[in-house]
Order: sequence, then structure tokens, then C-alpha cells
Amino acid sequence: MTAKAIPLPQSQVEEEEDPRQHLLFDPRPREELNSMVLEAMHSTPISFWIAVIILTLLVIICLFGAWGYMAVVGMGTAGIRRPTFWGMFIANFVFWIGISHSGTFVSAILRVFKAEFRRPFTRAAELMTAFGLAAGAMYPLIHLGRVWVSYWIFPYPNNRWLWPNFHSPLVWDMVAITTYLLGSTMYLYLPLIPDLAMARDRSKGWRYSLYRIMSLGWRGTEEEWVRLRTAIRIFAFAIIPVMFSVHTIVSWDFAVTMAPGWHSTIFGPFFIAGAIYSGVAAVIMIMFLIRSTMLNMKYFMREEHFDALGKLVLVFSFTWTYFYFSEYMLGWYGGDAADKALWQAITHGPFAWLWYLMLICNILIPWLTLWNKKIRRTPWVMFIICLLINVGMYTERYLIVPSMIARNRFPFDWDSYLPRIELVISLGSLSLFMLLYLLASRLIPLIPVWEVQEGQFAHTLRKVGKTHVPSVSETE
Amino acid sequence: MREGNNVHLALFKDVDPASEALDKLREFGIAEDDMTIISGVPFSEKVLGRPILTTNIPKFSIAGFMLGLLAALAINGIAVLQYPIRVGGMANFALPSFFIVAFEMSMLGCLIFTFLAVIWECAFPSYGPKMYRPEISDGRVAIVFNCPPEIHTQVHDALATLGAEWVHRTEATKI
Repeated sequence: MTAKAIPLPQSQVEEEEDPRQHLLFDPRPREELNSMVLEAMHSTPISFWIAVIILTLLVIICLFGAWGYMAVVGMGTAGIRRPTFWGMFIANFVFWIGISHSGTFVSAILRVFKAEFRRPFTRAAELMTAFGLAAGAMYPLIHLGRVWVSYWIFPYPNNRWLWPNFHSPLVWDMVAITTYLLGSTMYLYLPLIPDLAMARDRSKGWRYSLYRIMSLGWRGTEEEWVRLRTAIRIFAFAIIPVMFSVHTIVSWDFAVTMAPGWHSTIFGPFFIAGAIYSGVAAVIMIMFLIRSTMLNMKYFMREEHFDALGKLVLVFSFTWTYFYFSEYMLGWYGGDAADKALWQAITHGPFAWLWYLMLICNILIPWLTLWNKKIRRTPWVMFIICLLINVGMYTERYLIVPSMIARNRFPFDWDSYLPRIELVISLGSLSLFMLLYLLASRLIPLIPVWEVQEGQFAHTLRKVGKTHVPSVSETE
Repeated sequence: MREGNNVHLALFKDVDPASEALDKLREFGIAEDDMTIISGVPFSEKVLGRPILTTNIPKFSIAGFMLGLLAALAINGIAVLQYPIRVGGMANFALPSFFIVAFEMSMLGCLIFTFLAVIWECAFPSYGPKMYRPEISDGRVAIVFNCPPEIHTQVHDALATLGAEWVHRTEATKI
């Protein structure tokens, strides 16, 4: 018996991907890469300044103005009422802390596993972590009401004979978020140093002074590179468990109570899956915005990156659904009257529209679309899908926090929660995140140029028979 | 490498001629400790045929972890017993909640010390005059080496034949 060669149909041959479509197989001289990144940083069209002014006003009025008003007048300006003492502020807190997981996931985990496609967007994701944490960490203070006594939570010897209660998840939160915020900021800064030095070498005026100070005198000697890479490796490994711990502790804020819907042993991994799910979706949104609004970014952020991250989003959609179904299943099957009443209210009662919105956004839309490669490789479609996923994930947090607490174990105490000043403050914190990101995009190189060039050095096309196949060498 | 009075900087377009130039410098009897590479991307020691460099950063990281653990023990162990608050029938010093705080503070200590170790070992910030050319961050590779005055003309000629774009005894510039 002889094997018969069947030629591929012409359409299939044409569809075969050219490896040079990939960033790492399409190298350009370093000088050109630097120029492209700096040109994007230096370009500040009128639309940029309009956006900065609008966002600044929103931050001043909606965030600090509304927060100040609430501090002066009192928490009665918020919609928080008995029994819903945890409202939209805490839902926002969980959402922003969740978003912040993307940076660590994309940067640290993909770095540890040497996923090469990560290279051009690690910094964009790390910035999201830092600014997402900054936005999220404000909410416990806002929620506190009497923010001027917030220092009582810090452990220091004092004549009030007060010491923080270290059995409380709220104190664990403070410790974990501080660790994560400081850790992720240092992790953002370390790989940035060589790129700041590059910016220093090509800048004048105030930018030169700024980059000179920030690059600390970096030259790129062998010793400096060895130390930097060792530190980055330690950070990448060490920050992963910190990331897991932060959202686990956030989940324990709820899970250690006896409230129906909250008291759950799987809340830790469930929250982490949700955090990475919404975080990676947010990275895709940011990548789309960077690509569409900044010069030369289409070269760095390509369809392949949307494709790869789209697959991750789909995987985390499955994971999140699995955990959510486990939660729902036990509540539905368990026979606990309070749990049954809660799930009844969520699935058929006043919160049902939120529940269905969440299921559509988090399950139906990604499952129907993200299996398709063409969709995953179309950035604007991915932006819309990821926006809807984040709407769904925010809805999930809203259902978990104010909705579940409004259906407690005492039916005489049930009520509905209606956010008031919370809506304004939420808009303010979203504006703060966008403003910080916008300013950072013009102040620091958003693309880790040295990492991209390092990746391009390591990737070559090798001729095998009649074709060229990608080949990756180990340069580290 | 200590940059003395006889320091020179040779600038190459690529890493390949730079690694050949390193061999040439060895032929002239210049010791490994008297030369270093400056580049805009990291090259491993095996790429350049250089001795493996070691760093004490991991030791700093471990030290930071231990200090964080001790700090956690102080604020969540010793101090808690000094200011006792009874919560939900739990012991004043309860191991499960101690583990959480101890983990976070140890990791924080580890990360801070890792960061500080980079700053310390690289002697950052350091803005003084140093051997450097801005072209390095544009992809050029530089070799900085100490060379006795009596052979520096031969060394310059040899490196120029290997394609060194810019070789002379430079004035160190402020960074």
C-alpha cells in the first residue's frame, strides 16, 4: 500500500499564517523601536488635552468633591441603609482590586512560563495593576465615613490603648493591599529603568531631568543587567502568591461571615478566577485604546496578542462559570431556607435582571464568540466583548455585595439598596484611573523596548525543507 | 570593574564584533576584571564568553523575608498579647490569623529588600561622570576596559579593524 499525497486546497494554503506577522519575527533596528516609542510619548494632540481637562474636572468634582461632601454631611448621603451596610463602595473595591490582578498575571505568570507573546504589553498591564490598586485602595477609606480616623488601623504604640484587631479580615486587607501595592509598584519600576535611561538619552529639557533622576544613572553594564534580571525573576515568583493572597483575603471579608450567599469555602479561588477574568479582559481593552489612540502602537500590539489574550479570557470564562455554578448548585440544593430565599430573589426576584445580564455578559457572549479565531483577531470586536465581560463582572460584584446582604436571615429586615452619591464617586474613581493612565502614557515608555528587542533577538525563522519554521533560542 | 585613569570605551554596531573584540583584548593580556560590556539589552555570559557573574540579591531577599516575619511576630504576636482583644472566642494570639499577616509581611520584606538590593549593589542613584555613550541605548554595544598606556595604540588599532565605530580614551560624561 502506498501513501498518496493530497495537495491542500488553494484557499487553505493562502490562509496559512506568515510568521512575519508576529512582532518577534518582524524585527526593526533598536534605534527605530526607540523612536517609535518616544514619538508616541511625545505626541500630545488637542484631543489628549481635552481628555485630560475633562478627566481632571471629573476627579475634582465627582471624586474629591463628592467624597468631601459626604465626609462633611455624613454617610446619610450614600444609599447605605440597614441592612445593606456594604454597598457600592465595597463592590467597587472588589472590582478594582480584581482588575489589578491582570498586571501580575500577564507580567509575572507569563514571564515565569516564558510566554513570549507577553513582551510588548507587560508594562501596560503592570500600570493597570498600580492604578487599579490606587483606585481600589481608596474605597475602604471612602466607605469608612470618618476618614480622618483611618490611622487607627495602623499598628503603632499609642496612648489610646488601641491596637488593630489582627483577627479581622479588614486588617488582613490593609496588610495584603499594602504589600501588593508596594510590590507591584516596585515590580513596575524595575524593568522600567533601562527604558527610562533610553528616554534620558534621547530627551531634552524637563523630560531629560525627569528621566535622568528616574533612571538612577543606569548604563546597562553586565553587572547591572545581571542584578536587574535576578531581581525581576525573584519579583515574578514572589508576587504570584501575593496576588493570590490579596483576592483570597478580599473574598474572606465576605466568606468569614455567616451571611447567606457569602459563607463559602470556595470564595477564595472563585474570586481569583473572577479577578483574572476581568483583569485580562481589561488588558485587552487598554491595549485596544493604546493601539487606536497612540502613534506607532499598531506595530507593537498586533492581532496575535489579542488572539492569545482572547484564548486566556475564554479559559477564565470557563473557570469562573465552573465556580459560579458550584456556588449556585449548593445554594439551590442545600435546603437552607435563607440560601433558598436569597437565590430565589437573585434568579426570579428583584435582582433577576442583574443576574441575567451577568450570565449573558460573562458566559453567553464569550462562549459564543471567543472560540472564533477571526473574532479574537479583530481588536475592536474584542474591545466590545471585553467591555461587556467587565460589565458582567461588575454586575457579579454588585450581586454579591449589596444584593446578597439585603437578603439576610431575617425576612423582616429585608430591604432594597439604591445607590446615591456612590454613583458620582464611582464615576470619579473611574476618571482617576483613566487620568493616571493617560498621563503615564505620555510620561513613561508604555512598551518595554529592551524586552521586545531581546525577544526579537531570540526568535528566528529556520528553513526546514520547503518552508520556514519559527525557532526560539534560549538567550537567558 | 573599577574605571581607572586608563579607561577606554570601544563602540560596536553589534554583539558579534564586540565578542570578537573581547577575545582580542584577552590576547593583549587584559584581565576579565578589567573589561565590561555595556548594552541596551541583556546578553548572557555565554553569549559573550564572559565569566559567570554572581549577585547577593537572593540573600537580601531571604533576609528581608525573615525580617518581615519577625516584624509580623512583633506586631501580631507580642503586641497583641500586650493589648488583648477577645474576638469570637478566639485566642488572643491565634495561629490561623497570624499565618495570614505573617505571610503578607514576610513577602513584603522580601520584595522591599530585593528592590533595595538592586539599588545597593548597583550603587544607585549615581549621576556622576561615567564611561557611557547615548548610542548604547540605540542598540550599539560598548566595551569599557582598562588598558596600560604603553599598549593602548595597538589595542585601538586592533579594535578598529574589528569594526569599532568609535575608539579613543574618552572623557567620562555625566549621566
